[in-house]
Amino acid sequence: MELANSLSQEGRPKGGVLAHLERLETKSRKKFEESQGAESDLGSKIRKLRSLRDKLKAEVQRRQARAEASVEPDQTFEVSEQEVLETKLENVKSILQAYRFTGLSGKLTSRGVCVSISTAFEGNLLDSYFVDIVIQKPLRIHHHSIPVFIPLEEIAAKHLQTNIQHFLFSLCEYLNAYSGRKYQADGLQKDFAAFLAGPLQRNSLCNLLSFTYKAELSGQSFPFCARLLYKDITRTLPTDVTVTYQGMDALSTSWEEQRASHENLFCTKPLHHVFASFARREEKLDMNLVY
Amino acid sequence: MDEIVAEFVKRTILKIPMAEMTTILKAWDFLSENQLQTINFRKRKESLVHDLVMLCEEKHASVNDAALLDIIYTQFHQHQKIWDVFQMTKEPGEDIDLFDMKQFKSSFKKILQRALKNVSVTFRDTEENAVWIRIAWGTQYKKPNQYKPTYVVYYSQTPYVFISSSRLRSSIPLLGQALTVASKHHRIVKMDFRSRYLDSLKAIVFKQYNQTFETHNASTPLQERNLELDINMDSRIIHENIIEKDRVQRVTQEIFGDSPQPRLEFAQYKLETKFKSDLNRGILAERKEPLRCLVKFSSPNLLEALKSLAPAGIADAPLSPLLTCIPQKRMNYFKIKDK
Repeated sequence: MELANSLSQEGRPKGGVLAHLERLETKSRKKFEESQGAESDLGSKIRKLRSLRDKLKAEVQRRQARAEASVEPDQTFEVSEQEVLETKLENVKSILQAYRFTGLSGKLTSRGVCVSISTAFEGNLLDSYFVDIVIQKPLRIHHHSIPVFIPLEEIAAKHLQTNIQHFLFSLCEYLNAYSGRKYQADGLQKDFAAFLAGPLQRNSLCNLLSFTYKAELSGQSFPFCARLLYKDITRTLPTDVTVTYQGMDALSTSWEEQRASHENLFCTKPLHHVFASFARREEKLDMNLVY
Repeated sequence: MDEIVAEFVKRTILKIPMAEMTTILKAWDFLSENQLQTINFRKRKESLVHDLVMLCEEKHASVNDAALLDIIYTQFHQHQKIWDVFQMTKEPGEDIDLFDMKQFKSSFKKILQRALKNVSVTFRDTEENAVWIRIAWGTQYKKPNQYKPTYVVYYSQTPYVFISSSRLRSSIPLLGQALTVASKHHRIVKMDFRSRYLDSLKAIVFKQYNQTFETHNASTPLQERNLELDINMDSRIIHENIIEKDRVQRVTQEIFGDSPQPRLEFAQYKLETKFKSDLNRGILAERKEPLRCLVKFSSPNLLEALKSLAPAGIADAPLSPLLTCIPQKRMNYFKIKDK
């Protein structure tokens, strides 16, 4: 148009060719500058966006760091509730486990209850036995770990249906007594084997013990034969004791006294205590001999 | 050592497999360490046995010593015999049993010797307050036959006795009498319970298997059980079947328990029932007499096999009580009649 204008008057270019070239040059320069401007606009826009991005990144990082630092105080608040519950649960579980030290404890099962009888003697925890009871009418023992020579059927026939407490206490009595007698017999075989002149004769219930042992008195040693009968199997001490001398001659008075006193000892004290006292007497004797 | 004893000693030692020779001889405790050291155990068996017999001769081995060796051999090879279970009963209201092993042994021996002039009885105490008794039977005129002895295993103060099956049926009543009198019981009855595996019979009769109980102290391996479920299941089984499989596992576990089953080899059912048929009456259905039929289940481990039937899908759970009652009833020989 400009060209048209430049040509319009008398149809001659305004200012001539050079002026026309000048005009083209300025036009292109303007265009260039515009594009430069646009470029620089874009550039500055880019720069602006970049700086914004960096700022945002930095902000995110700062916030993350702050969040991590503050996450602990926040989460510990939540964890502590859970921890409290967990410790409570552990405590309750431990108390339930510790119940076995009372000797009689139980756990509910899907069918009824499983009763644990933990036997003990003189503060030593011994074997545990279990009775799995199904709660139905009538009460039924599903299975158990009671040894066959304990009269479980008898005790159950007498008490299980009428008074389960009595049933359990009675069973506890029998089992604790058996465990105690077994502990004494085992103790004699293990710890005082040196006193025995031959094997200890026993039976499943440990209610009949027969053994020969060396009795000492003032340096002399005689073989005594002891026979312990436990007719009451709810007790850990014998009901009948006979101590006899295995020799042919009659016993002197002092030895007769010894024999009688031994009989009494076996009746009133647990086996291993009796033999421990024998051992102590011997030690005293040895000491006397040394000095 | 006379000829008969020497032969008995020789044949007893000959039975022992080479691999067990030193163990069994040590358990016998008849030949001393020194004597055993003079033996070359790497010789051929015949010559080794000859040397051992010579040593026994030096020590004047008796019939009783050889019988003791026989007991030890049998204790190592229990499954070579078939064991029957007998149950003894007392009169109700009797005093507590003060079992005296010495008295029992002497009483038992006396009863047998009073009845039969020729009988040799040997005892060996074992753990758990039990005793193995070996009886070689003779008659008024014949010396005891040492090669067909009967073995008796008795745990003191229990009502059960395990006796090795023997062809000598006539000796059983006398043996029963000796046992009841010596152990202060009144009656003895043969149970329908028999197996080669003495340990399994003992475990069932004394209820010593399946000893897992729910307590607060036990760490019940519930997770393990679930894993078992997974391993048995085919991965292609989808949800509906899982519920049924679960139920089957639960029922099986309730009946059989978690622990390994004691080993029995067979269960036998003698049926004397009328033939029942859903089909149109055939020849058999019209009979009034019961159909006599014998069903025998055999297995290397019968109870484990029964336990796996329902989970394997071969049978419905719960299994027939005729099969599952074997441990509770302490029976594996059944006679089934119509009610």
